[in-house]
Amino acid sequence: MASTETKVNPDAASPSGVSSGLLVSLAPLPQESFELILGNLALAFRGEDVLVASPDVAPQSSGSPLRLLSYSPATVSGSPWILTAADYLLTYKLAQEHQMSACILLGGESQSLSPEAIRALARSAQQYDLTLAHYDLGPHEGLVNAAILYPVTRALFGTRPRFPLAIDVGLSLKMAGRLAAAAQRSISAGQNDAILWTLSEAVSANCTIAEVTVGTRTFPQPIAADLNAVLAQVAGSLFADVEAKASFWQRARGTQLPASVASSAPIVDSPADVASMLDAFRLAYTNLQEIWSLVLPPNSLLGLKKLSLANPESFRMPDNLWVRIVYDFILAFRLRTINRGHLLGALTPLYLAWTASHLTLISSGTSPEKHIQDLAVAFETDKPYFVARWRWPDRFNP
Amino acid sequence: MWQQVELALRQSAHRVLVKLASFLPALVALLLAVIVLALIGAGLAALLRRTLIAAKFDERLARNAIAPISDWSPANSPTALLSRVVFWGCVLIGCFIGISAFDAAYPGDSQISVFVFPYVTHAIGAVLLLITGTVIARFLERSVLIGAVNAKLQYARMLSLGIKWLVLVLTAAMVLDHLQIGGAVVELAFGILFGGIVLTLALAVGLGSRNIVSRSLERSASLDPIPGDPDYRPHTPPENLRHF
Repeated sequence: MASTETKVNPDAASPSGVSSGLLVSLAPLPQESFELILGNLALAFRGEDVLVASPDVAPQSSGSPLRLLSYSPATVSGSPWILTAADYLLTYKLAQEHQMSACILLGGESQSLSPEAIRALARSAQQYDLTLAHYDLGPHEGLVNAAILYPVTRALFGTRPRFPLAIDVGLSLKMAGRLAAAAQRSISAGQNDAILWTLSEAVSANCTIAEVTVGTRTFPQPIAADLNAVLAQVAGSLFADVEAKASFWQRARGTQLPASVASSAPIVDSPADVASMLDAFRLAYTNLQEIWSLVLPPNSLLGLKKLSLANPESFRMPDNLWVRIVYDFILAFRLRTINRGHLLGALTPLYLAWTASHLTLISSGTSPEKHIQDLAVAFETDKPYFVARWRWPDRFNP
Repeated sequence: MWQQVELALRQSAHRVLVKLASFLPALVALLLAVIVLALIGAGLAALLRRTLIAAKFDERLARNAIAPISDWSPANSPTALLSRVVFWGCVLIGCFIGISAFDAAYPGDSQISVFVFPYVTHAIGAVLLLITGTVIARFLERSVLIGAVNAKLQYARMLSLGIKWLVLVLTAAMVLDHLQIGGAVVELAFGILFGGIVLTLALAVGLGSRNIVSRSLERSASLDPIPGDPDYRPHTPPENLRHF
């Protein structure tokens, strides 16, 4: 099993210098935001030699002390709200060309990052192969990450970082090269906007991993407002990555030390409107049972039946039910039980049911982070079920 | 007179038995050809399957991201698909050989194969049409069902069934036309049925989606607020849930 060192580096205000050879790669920004981020970068790296690469043109009278490198991206990204394969490949090429030892990629809306956060990210990138940002999110944010991305990545790959798909990433040149190689394979297959799962790449390559708290941030939203399409894109990419790295995570053992959960007071907030999500789930239950029955075992179907009859006030999806649903969908994805597009489309109403359950739970006083950590533990506990079904899929077919 | 009746019956029975006796070898030749080629096909298919599994054909195909073929055949790997093609190809060849053998073994000047071969070819085309149409109908039914459910359309099930039957009716009409069965009657019946289904769907969608259309129009109108209109109320977005 690849040993990884996962540390959480608290943001510190120490003025220790960032060694030279750092490339900062920015996403396309509006002019005003671009000037803001340049200002933040100048504050973060005062008096230091940092190369900033951006597709935007620097304002002529900026007088920025930073070295600015303007580039023209080969293609316009269809998914500007996340870092794609093309971003990683381009960053590596620029870092190699200018002989940089480390690089950080800042996603869209990066002007909302504080100079201290950027500095901490850069410092960590100089010491560890992969640094992921840890965000302070509200209870109604990052729900897909809480439901699927974080618990699956943590359970299968034994990693701790809370945001596997963070859009602010620090890379050593070695890690950047590895990601560039993965990106090249995707781009060669015509998938410029393929999502790269940096955490699983780092773990399978035995690279060091760190996590840096960056506080709050404004997140770019997907252009396509359709949850179904975006969820299919992200979940499909994750499932494909799990399939590709099956030989690694089947051997991975051990559980992570429980991350210190911020002891936030239970949030008594205005309850989210879960009615539309419950309606969507009940409509899907009526119409998609036939499809779900091809993927899920009878126990899970029974659990969903009970859920469909539950009152909105007491709508609660048990953690182990959601765990089995996600694992069975990953298996169905691998076995191509049904068309993959249909499979991911059938997942959306189930995800909405989990979201409604999660929001109902936190509105009753439970800490959102506690529920998410409990869910991650449930995923870890049920990993043997997933491994067994992966290895012997014919032993049980619903 | 009864003797003549008896003689006539005896002679006709004799003629039928003679014809049957001469027909049987041809039939046996046909069945033998089909069975032997089917067994050869099964053996070739098994051999091909083992070879492709050993060569990790499915994994190589998946790596090269040639997805559409495998996505269209749910629960069937490319290896299974190829081996089945080989098996049924051999069965088909067996059928052709069998018919030819039947023709050769059947005494007389009927030249059955001259009439049967073209029709068998049409029949094979019709079977392929039927299979393709069924696959497409099932795929579209599921696509529409899932899309409509995620769009929160109450009539999702009806819409998906309508699409499925549209495709199946079209397929059936094409198959019958290919087999040259029915002629104008089939064309007319298809036209009436197809038009009826389309009209039903149009009514269902039109009546059922009034709210969606009005909501969509409201949404697009809210992007360009009309300044200075005191009665205008901008569309308020739902609660700020961030899934990503």
